[in-house]
Amino acid sequence: MRSFWRRQATTVRAATKTGSRSSPEKDQSKEEGGYIMATSVQRPGSAYVQRSSSGGLYEVIDVILDKGLVIDIFLRVSLVGIELLTVDARIVIASVDTYLRFAEAVNRLELQGSESEGLPQLMQDITEDGSQSKARGVLEGAKESLFGSSDDDEGSSDDDEKSREGSRSRAGAGRRSK
Amino acid sequence: MTTQAKPKYVYGVTPRTASALRGTGIRRRRLHAIEDGQLAAIVSDAPEGDIQAGREELLTHARVLGRARAQGVVLPMRFGVVMPDEDAVRRELLEEYRDELLLQLREVDGKGELRLRAVYDEDALMKEIVEAHSDIAALSAALRGRPADALYYERIELGQKVARAVEQAAIVDLSAIVDALEPLAVAVQVGEPDHEHVAANVSFLVEDAQIPAFDQAVDALGRQNAGRLTFKYTGPLPPYSFVELPAHG
Repeated sequence: MRSFWRRQATTVRAATKTGSRSSPEKDQSKEEGGYIMATSVQRPGSAYVQRSSSGGLYEVIDVILDKGLVIDIFLRVSLVGIELLTVDARIVIASVDTYLRFAEAVNRLELQGSESEGLPQLMQDITEDGSQSKARGVLEGAKESLFGSSDDDEGSSDDDEKSREGSRSRAGAGRRSK
Repeated sequence: MTTQAKPKYVYGVTPRTASALRGTGIRRRRLHAIEDGQLAAIVSDAPEGDIQAGREELLTHARVLGRARAQGVVLPMRFGVVMPDEDAVRRELLEEYRDELLLQLREVDGKGELRLRAVYDEDALMKEIVEAHSDIAALSAALRGRPADALYYERIELGQKVARAVEQAAIVDLSAIVDALEPLAVAVQVGEPDHEHVAANVSFLVEDAQIPAFDQAVDALGRQNAGRLTFKYTGPLPPYSFVELPAHG
């Protein structure tokens, strides 16, 4: 668990604002259109919390699309693919797929308790990773197709990608802790 | 050149005294201000046709507003607001909503939006649930070791019970998180969870001076829940969740 967090904590995020608390390093090279962009290292003391000043697109997309001032008659936006992101979470939760996956998760847990650690543990990590990415597939797949996956020239794409990897490996990292 | 007739993409509203705008916005159109009375709208010429909600456009919108907040106070517009021309921005936004805009600028001045998501570690959560619910433990034990495809409906029943237990756990954790942080915030907005492992998805409007204390409180929550909840903490952002225009006739 700890090693996962440490890896996250060293991630340098591209931030739009300088913030009164951080001392930003100027980095003009990443930003389009001649902006001066502050690249702020994640705030200190984040052993248990993943922090960022502005977040990647992944963290702020729902506020940008659903919140903020709006004059409806002037909203002119083509929301291709966005409806997938705003699907009501209760629909996601109340699905047969989710129930089967929860049942599997509980069963796996009890198996884990009854067997010695070692190879079974390893096997379980593998199957766990598979089911995790399937479970997160709906939303994150949609986000991925919208935002592109990696090797993007956008400043924060690496961060998005890392945080996705991070959430997939979290369960595994927890079990492997020594 | 009839600059007056160009459609404008609107990012947000600031006090007129705000610092000069630099740089470009969506599709690299130059940012400029449209002023009226004590207010100024941050705009750029809108691209032709619909605005695509693509990665680059969304990030640009967020960056323009993040930068404006870093320089002072801004009321962020939702992504995708385009008005027919400069005159419309002046009359149908700045004049039409002048009182509300000035009031909200005062309300959010010196404050930022902090967003906190708490996501369960699945194994830790399942372990808690099995320990707390004897019926789930019993049902799970009864299904164990038997062929999965023969017990489809039993597995769904088990999963439903687990799903209900997850929802209950999320209610408890969400309340604990909000209770711990609300005293440090000016306003709180609880959002819908966006997937099944999310315990909390909450935005807080926090005075800049309170942010260090808020940071510490979030850290304390992280420590208390180490191993079972992952906290993702973003901000300060422009106050997207704490601004609103009333419907005008």
